[in-house]
Formats: sequence, structure tokens, C-alpha cells
Amino acid sequence: MDVISNLGLGFSVALTIQNITYCLIGALLGTLIGVLPGIGPVTTVAMLLPISFTLPPESAMILLAGIYYGAQYGGSTTAILVNIPGEASSVVTTIDGHAMARQGRAGPALGIAALGSFFAGCAATLLIALAAPPLATIALQFGPAEYFSLMVCGLIAAVVLARGSLLKAIAMVVLGLLLGLVGTDVNSGARRFNFGMTGLADGIEFVAISMAIYGIAEVVYNLEQKQAAKMVTGALGRVWPSFADVKQCAGSILRGTGLGAILGVLPGGGALLASFAAYTVEKKVASAPRQFGSGDIRGVAAPESANNAGAQTSFIPMLTLGIPGNPTMAMMIGALMIHGIAPGPRVMTDRPGLFWGLIASMWLGNLMLVVLNLPLVGIWVRLLRVPYRLLYPVIIVFCCIGAYTINNKAFDVFVMSFFAIFGYVALKLECEPAPLILGFVLGPMMEENLRRALLISRGDPMVFLQEPISLAFLVLAAGLLVVMAVPAIRIRREEALKE
Amino acid sequence: MRIRAPKDFWSGVMFCAFAAVALFAACGYSMGSAGRMGPGYFPLLLASLLGALGAALMGRSILVGGEPVARLQVLPLAVIATAICLFGLLIEPLGLIVSLAVLTVMSAWVGAQFRLAETVALAAALILFCVGVFVYALGLPLNLWPSM
Repeated sequence: MDVISNLGLGFSVALTIQNITYCLIGALLGTLIGVLPGIGPVTTVAMLLPISFTLPPESAMILLAGIYYGAQYGGSTTAILVNIPGEASSVVTTIDGHAMARQGRAGPALGIAALGSFFAGCAATLLIALAAPPLATIALQFGPAEYFSLMVCGLIAAVVLARGSLLKAIAMVVLGLLLGLVGTDVNSGARRFNFGMTGLADGIEFVAISMAIYGIAEVVYNLEQKQAAKMVTGALGRVWPSFADVKQCAGSILRGTGLGAILGVLPGGGALLASFAAYTVEKKVASAPRQFGSGDIRGVAAPESANNAGAQTSFIPMLTLGIPGNPTMAMMIGALMIHGIAPGPRVMTDRPGLFWGLIASMWLGNLMLVVLNLPLVGIWVRLLRVPYRLLYPVIIVFCCIGAYTINNKAFDVFVMSFFAIFGYVALKLECEPAPLILGFVLGPMMEENLRRALLISRGDPMVFLQEPISLAFLVLAAGLLVVMAVPAIRIRREEALKE
Repeated sequence: MRIRAPKDFWSGVMFCAFAAVALFAACGYSMGSAGRMGPGYFPLLLASLLGALGAALMGRSILVGGEPVARLQVLPLAVIATAICLFGLLIEPLGLIVSLAVLTVMSAWVGAQFRLAETVALAAALILFCVGVFVYALGLPLNLWPSM
């Protein structure tokens, strides 16, 4: 059995003292920022990119991945106890979770969220282990034309599933692609868009632009919002859900896990979309749906399983194709590139220790989270009392040190300042930053594949339509755009994403 | 002619401005042909597309209604952006400790509830943490004090 020997290799990497430590740090840090509103996994991963440079690549990826799924656990804690979703992916958990807390059943709600997440985590880990190798084998057959069309399709799908105006999101993708091209052209050696600045010879630093947009710009934006003081509820009740609770939730957990796992793989998917979809489906499918909204335990189980499953399966396209489905995955690709590893299907064959070690660490991290989280709930809740006025200078300081230390260049700090201003203006104009970051990561790869595809076809653009796989991707992308242009569907999408 | 969707309109203006800068710069790079792309080919393609998208947004904002732009809070943005640039300017000549102190105090000052004593304590704690973690634990090459 290949899977077993591969997972064996993975555990031999993940179970070294060093990597267990980084897994634990990642999971705990993830829970911490999951609990704190106003700082999310994207910001945290961006802030840790420079630090991860000093670690071996295996440890770096394990640490960063832990933050992403750890945040899913942490986000639900505050959603249930204080009605504040620590993460966007826990927004729906507040509906039934907090209602349960008000009825004195906070304990079982937390318990079922943790159990559901753990089950989803195990299932998703297994799914990655099973699905990734065949996918990577297929991807290895892709030529430049297929890759180019896959990227077009991935970017379009990510945009369709994003919130807000479609036109703005596409424009942000194109702008991101352009920004990704800044710097020395690998083929001709020409210096592009450097406007006479030597600091831009290697392009815009990924760490600087991502921290600017997800760190600094968000801080400035949050400073305007009113910080309402929230009350913490009293007793937790019994933490472990009763047998009846578990029995009632089994179906919801299974459905949430399945739906989340599928939605996580899609570009633009991940934890956020998964939790919303799971709650909506659960309301339709479950018996006695009227209890939803007034403290139904199934309304906690389904979205919490789904967001954890989605968080983990979104690693599949990142690991096998080198294509990021959401901004956090773009950060992970950035982390790989900082270590000089080209993301794509070869990661699995060239660095099996990294690949399988990361997967094994996800299961390990989920186990740690279940064991540690419930006893630590009290501490997490107390952390909520940290006011934002103390938190945001910390974010700014870490971003600045990170931007400076990545290359020891003050120039990157100035770049960060510039893009912070841009990011704030974009937020104000309701231009979502996620498509920009995805485009930024894919820009150079996209140009390279376009160039190679057209070189092979001697300049004939029909090559993208003649290769069947490439054609399929392009038809899919065009189909998505057409569907979105139909007004009736557009309105439904807006409703579905609003909630 | 009335702008009905200011958010869309100004987004369009922003995208067109980026496209114009990119087009202007990309004109200097050799285009090549589709089969042998020069460094200017793909940027020119993207910049034209961006310009078209920006123009479409501006055009639509005249036809279809939309939300007004919320007021920009210029002061926090300006102070924080300046503080970050100052950090970049100061870190090499004055070292980590001084530049962190300046950055923390300036950032905290611009928030709604500034308290001097608390900020000084926060700055001290942050400096201790950063020196401990980044300089001693991770061994990053950062000057602590002004270099003479």
C-alpha cells in the first residue's frame, strides 16, 4: 500500500521533536488569532513568512499550516461564547452556537464544534493523502497550454466565488498579474516597471505586499470601526456533549465534512464558503428545521465540520498544482518560493518528506487542538479582553520587522507603506484584495506558460483551443463568466454570500 | 452626465491610472511577436485589459446606480504610513530599539483611545519581545543601538 508507506514517511518527519513543537506552536498561535477578532490567519501567516525563512522548509510549512486550521478551532470558541466570530468562517456558528450558550449549553456546543472539527480534520487529511498523488500524476502531464488555461480557469473561479462586484474583482486579478511582473524578466533580462528604482530589480517583495494589504491596511480600516464592548457569558456547562447530542449530530457532521471537503478544493473556496454552504444545506435537509436559529446543536456541528474540512482540502490544489485557491494558500506558495521550492506537481516527487510530513502534521495538529482546546477555553476567553488599541500596534511592529528582515532592505518597508495606502483605498472602494494576491502569485508563472505555449505553436493562439484539456478549462471559465452575467443567478449569489 | 455609482467610478479611475502607468512604461520594452514574446508583450496585453475594465467600470457607474464612497480617514492612514517609512529610515542608522519605540508610539497615538503610560509600557514590552525573539532566538542581523 502506497498510501500507508507514504503516511509512514510523513509521520517520521512530523514526529520529530522539532516538528511536533512547530506544529504545536502553529496550532496554538492559530487558535489565539482565531479567538482575537481583527486579526486573521492571512495576516498571521504573512507576518510569520519572514520567520519561516529561518526554519527548514518542512518545519516552516507545518507551522504555517497549523495557523490556518488552528484558526478554525479558535474562531468557533468566541463565536459560541461571546457572539463574536473570531474568523469570518465562524460567522454562521454564532447563530445557533451563541443561542446554545445563552441557554447554558455552551459546553456541549464547544464540545461538538471540536469533535466535528476533529472528525472533519481526519477525513480531510485522509482525502488529501488519497487524492493528491493521482492529481499530481495528471498534472505532471500538463504542457504549458494546459497550465495557462488552468490558471485562467482558477482565477476566474476564484473571482466568481468572491464577494462584491465581478468587474472589480477581475480588474483586481489583472492588476495583481501586472504587479507580479515587476522586476527583471527572466527570459530577456529586461528590467520592467522599476521606474529607476534598484530596489525593484527582483520585483515587488511578496511578503511586503501581503503584509501591507492584510496587515497594515486592515488595521487602518479597523481603526474606524466602532469597538463595541461585549459581555462574556458565565458558566460553560458540561463540556462533553451527551450521547444523544452526538447521535443527533452525526449526520450533520458527515454532511458538513463532505460538503466542506468538496468546496475546499474549488478555487475561491476554503473555510469561509464551506461553513456558509453547510449551514444552508443543513437547514434544508435536517428534520425539524424550525429549531435552527434558536440553539440547534446541528447548526454548530455542520458549519464547524465544514470549515475545518474546507481549510484542509484547500491544500490539495496548492500542493498538487501549485495553484492557490485562497489568499492563505497564496501565502503558503510564497513560503515555498522563499525556500527556493518551485510549487507544482513536482513537490510531491522531489520532496516527499515535505509533502507527506505536512499532511501527517495536519492530523497531528488536529489531535492536539482537540485535546488542548477544551481545557484552555477559559484562557482564550480571557484573551478577548485584550483591547484592539493594544493589539494593532503589535501587528504594525511585526509587519515592519518582517518586511525589513526578509531581505534586510529598508526599501521593502517603503514598498509596504505604499501598498498599505493602496490597500486601504481599495478596501474603501470595495475592491476585494484576495484576487489581487492570487494574481500577484500567478503573474510570472502565467506569463512563462503563455510564452512557452505560443513558442511551441509558433505564435498560433488556437493552441489553447486545440488541446482538449486546455479547451475544457477555458470552456469552464467562460461558462462561469456567462452564468454570473445572468441577472437572476447574480442576485442569488449576492444573497447567498451576504447572509 | 451624472456619476450614479461613485464607488465604481473611482475604482475605475484607479484601475485606469494603473493601466496608464503600465502602458506608458511597457511601450519602452520590445514587443516581439506572439511566437517569440518580448518582455513587453504580456504586460501590454494586461495593461490594455486593465484599462478596458477600468473604463467599463466608469461607464457603468454613469448608467447604473450604486453606493457613495465612505469618508476616507486620512489622519490614521497618513500617520501610520509615515511611521512605517520612518521605521525604514531609522532602523539602519539608529538601530532596532529607537526605531521600534518611534513606530509603536506613533501608531498608538493615532488610535482613538491613546493613553501615554499604557503606550510606554506596550512599547517597552514589544522592544523586549522583539529583541529576545528576533535578535537572540532567531539570530536575525539587526542593530540594537545607533551605529557610530
